[in-house]
Amino acid sequence: MNDNIIKVCGLKKHFVGGTVKALDGIDLEIKRGEVIVIIGPSGCGKSTFLRSLNLLEKPTSGNIFFNGVDINDPKVDINTHRQKMGMVFQQFNLFPHLSIRKNITLAPIKLLKKPKETAEKEAMSLLKRVGLEDRAEAYPSQLSGGQKQRIAIVRALAMDPEVMLFDEPTSALDPEMVGEVLDVMKELAQEGMTMAVVTHEMGFAKEVADRVIFMDGGKIEEMGTPEEIFGNPKSPRLRDFLGKVL
Amino acid sequence: MAEFFATLKSDFIKCFVTKNRWTFITEGLSTTLKITLLSCIMGIVIGLILAIVRSTYDKNYKEMHGGIGKSLLAVANFIANIYLTVIRGTPVVVQLMIMYYIIFAASDNGVLVAVSAFGINSGAYVAEIFRSGIMSIDNGQFEAGRSLGFGYIQTMLFIVFPQAFKSVLPALANEFIVLLKETSVAGYVAIQDLTKGGDIIRGATYETFMPLLAVAGIYLVMVIFFTKLVNILERRLRKSER
Ligand SMILES: Nc1ncnc2c1ncn2[C@@H]1O[C@H](COP(=O)(O)OP(=O)(O)OP(=O)(O)O)[C@@H](O)[C@H]1O
Ligand SMILES: [Mg+2]
Repeated sequence: MNDNIIKVCGLKKHFVGGTVKALDGIDLEIKRGEVIVIIGPSGCGKSTFLRSLNLLEKPTSGNIFFNGVDINDPKVDINTHRQKMGMVFQQFNLFPHLSIRKNITLAPIKLLKKPKETAEKEAMSLLKRVGLEDRAEAYPSQLSGGQKQRIAIVRALAMDPEVMLFDEPTSALDPEMVGEVLDVMKELAQEGMTMAVVTHEMGFAKEVADRVIFMDGGKIEEMGTPEEIFGNPKSPRLRDFLGKVL
Repeated sequence: MAEFFATLKSDFIKCFVTKNRWTFITEGLSTTLKITLLSCIMGIVIGLILAIVRSTYDKNYKEMHGGIGKSLLAVANFIANIYLTVIRGTPVVVQLMIMYYIIFAASDNGVLVAVSAFGINSGAYVAEIFRSGIMSIDNGQFEAGRSLGFGYIQTMLFIVFPQAFKSVLPALANEFIVLLKETSVAGYVAIQDLTKGGDIIRGATYETFMPLLAVAGIYLVMVIFFTKLVNILERRLRKSER
């Protein structure tokens, strides 16, 4: 029995008629409960890769299996699979016209057909987990960046996803707010959530990642445990990269 | 001086009191408001449909898999583009006359003719208002909706449209004001709106000054009133954005 939740085979993504090879052949398997951290220089394709996993970016070629189903197959209903893949964006992307409560309950009510009371009760207990239970009636514009991102995580969790995708969740935050978001993510990892995280927070990668992936030029250049990647980098590009960021 | 006021008074009586001529103004005004309101509603409905077709095409066409849906969308978009080009490329008076003399030649329902002409005309402009509203919503909103598992239509319905509608409300209200003035050409096809009402009085009394000034004054007061309303609306909306 294979316990891969996600399997990526030969994934390529080209932009502008093939002149930009954002992804140039990626193969990767992600195990259930695993925390993957993706690092690499700007423009190497980290976001494109992460966004391909839930098909926000349509691959040029290759396959993405989620729970054994090739979700890049046109016959597959991507929407039902996306319900099981939570995503957290750099710019939060909360819905500004809805209260925090409605931001969180919209999808569970409309998509999972949960009764309103159930959805709201679950929203409240999720809000409690991130320490924001008193902001349920507020609107996104009334929150700090760190609070917005914690709400965005809660909004994704409300769908009870099997995997969470994070694209630089702390890059748009003031430094003093980075910690509160990383803490929520650490907790999530400890609870056994499968996570794929693009980040420049090397401390987080060292502490939380089961596996670190170093991307360069649309390819996986090196992959290993945090100890291997940070303690004993083999590729010169990785050594060069770590020299700059550490 | 006293003489001047005496003439003014007798002119006024001649224009508006004698033979109850004021009813040309009041009935004309009611026709003008009726035409404006109904064409505005028709314009919004048409504009919304056109905007949905065009922005769906812009956003999705390249990514869509072939098939009946894709062909339908291409046809709908093609028709929408022709509609926009023709309606915006010809004068509204001409459109009104075509409506009256050709399309509704058998009907003598003036309001129906006017509402069809102005509604179809307004729809083309409202479509662009809606489209720019939809396009002004950050793509991150769309992606957030899709990433939760909402389909394209659901994402539009629950997330994009509510925000877009709010941002275009002032422009829509403005379109109403434009329509109010634009309908003054309805007299071309024998519809007795406010302008035509004043013109009838002018023809009957050979007085030009009073009836035309009265008509102009009424338009001006209405436009100022609705503009104030739009401003209040805009301020409210801005406040709710915080
Ligand atoms: N929509 C697009 N159209 C054209 N080129 C694109 C598009 N999206 C990404 N690219 C290009 O693809 C490459 C990979 O981009 P990507 O955003 O995945 O990089 P990244 O590793 O996330 O970078 P960063 O650390 O700056 O976020 C870049 O060269 C980028 O310019
Ligand atoms: Mg990126």
